[in-house]
Amino acid sequence: MQALSLENIHFGYKSGDEPALDIGRLEIGSGERVALIGPSGAGKSTLLKLIDGRLRNWSGKAVVLGETISSRRTPGRTFSRKIGFVFQEFALIERQTVFENVRNGRLGHLSTARSVFGRLTPEDYKQILTAIEETGLQELMHRRADELSGGQRQRVAIARCLAQQPGMILADEPISNLDPVRAREILDLLVKVCELRQATLIITTHQPMLVRTYVDRIIALSEGSVILDEESSPASAAQVMAVYEEMADPLAAHNKPASV
Amino acid sequence: MVTQPTGGSGRYGFLMTAAIGLAVVLAWNHLGLDTARLGTSGGRLLDFLQRMVPPDLSVLGIVTEAAIETVEIALIGTALSIAASIPLGLLAAGTVTPAWVHVSVKWLLAAIRGIPLILVAMIMVGAVGLGPLPGVLAIAFHSTGMLAKFFAEAFESVDTRPLAALSSSGASAFQIHWFGTLPQIAPDLLRDVMFRFELNLRESLVLGLVGAGGIGFYIQTYIRSFQYQKVATLTIVILVMVIAIEAVTYGLRRVLR
Repeated sequence: MQALSLENIHFGYKSGDEPALDIGRLEIGSGERVALIGPSGAGKSTLLKLIDGRLRNWSGKAVVLGETISSRRTPGRTFSRKIGFVFQEFALIERQTVFENVRNGRLGHLSTARSVFGRLTPEDYKQILTAIEETGLQELMHRRADELSGGQRQRVAIARCLAQQPGMILADEPISNLDPVRAREILDLLVKVCELRQATLIITTHQPMLVRTYVDRIIALSEGSVILDEESSPASAAQVMAVYEEMADPLAAHNKPASV
Repeated sequence: MVTQPTGGSGRYGFLMTAAIGLAVVLAWNHLGLDTARLGTSGGRLLDFLQRMVPPDLSVLGIVTEAAIETVEIALIGTALSIAASIPLGLLAAGTVTPAWVHVSVKWLLAAIRGIPLILVAMIMVGAVGLGPLPGVLAIAFHSTGMLAKFFAEAFESVDTRPLAALSSSGASAFQIHWFGTLPQIAPDLLRDVMFRFELNLRESLVLGLVGAGGIGFYIQTYIRSFQYQKVATLTIVILVMVIAIEAVTYGLRRVLR
């Protein structure tokens, strides 16, 4: 079964004449782990927004987890909660505790009245606590988000998204704000929870060499189009790196950094 | 070559200090302040204090009652001000309304802040007659100028990224604001409210001077009729009231981070 199927996707920012997305055909299988690579402005974030159902005014056909995405309407909450989103800047509520932040990820499963009166079901508590456990945050559960380090915060953000019981996790540059050790921990964690829950993972990044061992497949985007789509291997990662350097900055290709 | 910066803050600071000093000297001369009178003031102050003891506790009952009325006026006035400040604060928040709206509302709030409380109170007494009602209305009106501005600043400080995260996880619009917006600003709003309540309490002492209720009426009556022992009781009651309220709000503020 396909987790994601895109056909003739076209999207252009209203002001600019360069289309921000132009994808003929792209399919991602259920449970697959994919790295989406490309320089800033290549359309990575736009594509994630489209898959999440938050992009407007595009044309083409997009089916995500069996549901056809509309370019005009915000998807219903039953769809939204199936897609977990991890942000580069964590997007936590600083004044709330780890538990409260993770609980917020569960709201999509709760009616407004229930949630306001704090009437969570045993199942809700189970999912929240499982998410906290899987991300190793038990000890920090009652600490405030603003007391945590960057790596810990990203773990909270992942736990929040796990509380949704997602079928797919979209991670928009989840390791850009982290040092290499923390970055590996977060990648390990993302892979672990996706395997455990058989969820599809799409992760955007600027670091193909770092990410390649964590994913099955590497897709490179440039100016909104797919320019490379291969199984993840040292060769494909290196190839992306070379292309990446050229498209990121023509000068950088002559000035190659030793490694990433 | 590195060029020497000319002018610089040192010279500017010197000029400012000189200008302020000159203004003070000119004002002193203009008012004709007679320093010689300070020499004889000690004895008179002592005489004044001697006439205050012992405090006349026979008025403790009515004075306490008036003090409670003052607290009540400040409380209701602050509550009404909160009710007005939420919509006005939203309108004055740059992140919520278009520029022409929030700029004009901010000007309106500045104008409200600019009118002294005693003037507002006199107008309210003229409008609705004597008693605590004009006092409540005056406090409500006067403090909205500041409270709505504070509220607007709190609304502007909301981080929208977690709201986008909640929206993306399927939370309803109400849930997004209840669980996303409120926790971000509730401590700030409460702090603003308590700060304003303290100010209202102290400022509401003057309401009695114009017949708008509260303990101020007795301040005026007793001082004008030279009943200093009653003034002493009054001073003690006011001190206890202000310190008690500040102790409560100080404790609450420590809890809110």
